[in-house]
Amino acid sequence: MTQPWPELDPVIHAQARLRVMVALSTLGPKDQLTFPRLQQLLDMTAGNLSTHLRKLEEAGYVEITKTHERRTPVTYVALTPLGRRAFEAYTEGLRALLGPRGEPP
Amino acid sequence: MDREGELSPAESLALIEGQRAELRRRRGIRPELILLAWGLAYLLGFGGFYLALQGVVPEVLAGLVLGALGAVALVLPIVEGVRAARGVRGPSRTVGVMYGSAWGLAFCANAIVQTSLQRQLAASPEIVSLMWSSSSLAVAGLMYLAGAMLWRDVPQYLLGAWMLVSAALSVLAGVPGNFLVLAFAGGGGMLALSGYYVIRSRR
Repeated sequence: MTQPWPELDPVIHAQARLRVMVALSTLGPKDQLTFPRLQQLLDMTAGNLSTHLRKLEEAGYVEITKTHERRTPVTYVALTPLGRRAFEAYTEGLRALLGPRGEPP
Repeated sequence: MDREGELSPAESLALIEGQRAELRRRRGIRPELILLAWGLAYLLGFGGFYLALQGVVPEVLAGLVLGALGAVALVLPIVEGVRAARGVRGPSRTVGVMYGSAWGLAFCANAIVQTSLQRQLAASPEIVSLMWSSSSLAVAGLMYLAGAMLWRDVPQYLLGAWMLVSAALSVLAGVPGNFLVLAFAGGGGMLALSGYYVIRSRR
């Protein structure tokens, strides 16, 4: 299968992962979000979210921290600096493809 | 690649913008709402007190309006803050908790200072009124200046500076003019910033 938009990062250019990246990009620098809260905000199933997070983690875009709070295991998710840059490059790439008026050139 | 992920660049950009707006609605703090609530509480509450002093409306009514609108304005930022902090750990949460509690601490300390000074000075009702209006505007002004520095928000800095000017104006105006300063300069300033945030978010 051919990639129709070879300029765009294939890790980010998929609906579910793009939504994850947008959600995490709204966090402040060094902030982390719990897995259940991310799941609730994105309205995704835990399994589906885990799958996409794993792909983003393999690319080095997302950092997953497992910890304990009051003896309960908690998983925190955040963008890495690389992930933040990749997301910025991706949105810039989109704008470049669409041209200055937001229409395909 | 997965089939569902086939997006055109235009669809992709629309998804990003839509998702950002949705997250802001569901997780972000909406300063325009908080400023609207406080602006209305000042405008109608203290405006009501001015009218009560002129004998236009009963004082009880003015008190009820200020109490009801003030309660909404007090609860709203707490609800917004708790919602924004849910599931988050990191610097934003720490800053948010410090900033939110600073409002409470500043107004509690001011209330204690004002009431005990007024008692010790056996201050007249006019002096009491001027002390309350000027100190409240000054504390709020300083908090907006702090917020402006934390979130690098120049319009909020302008509101803070304006509230400090209003604090001085409220003393110079005397009673009952200080209630007009609270209503129109204080409340009006907050409503103006609320309106600015709404216009800015639509552009």
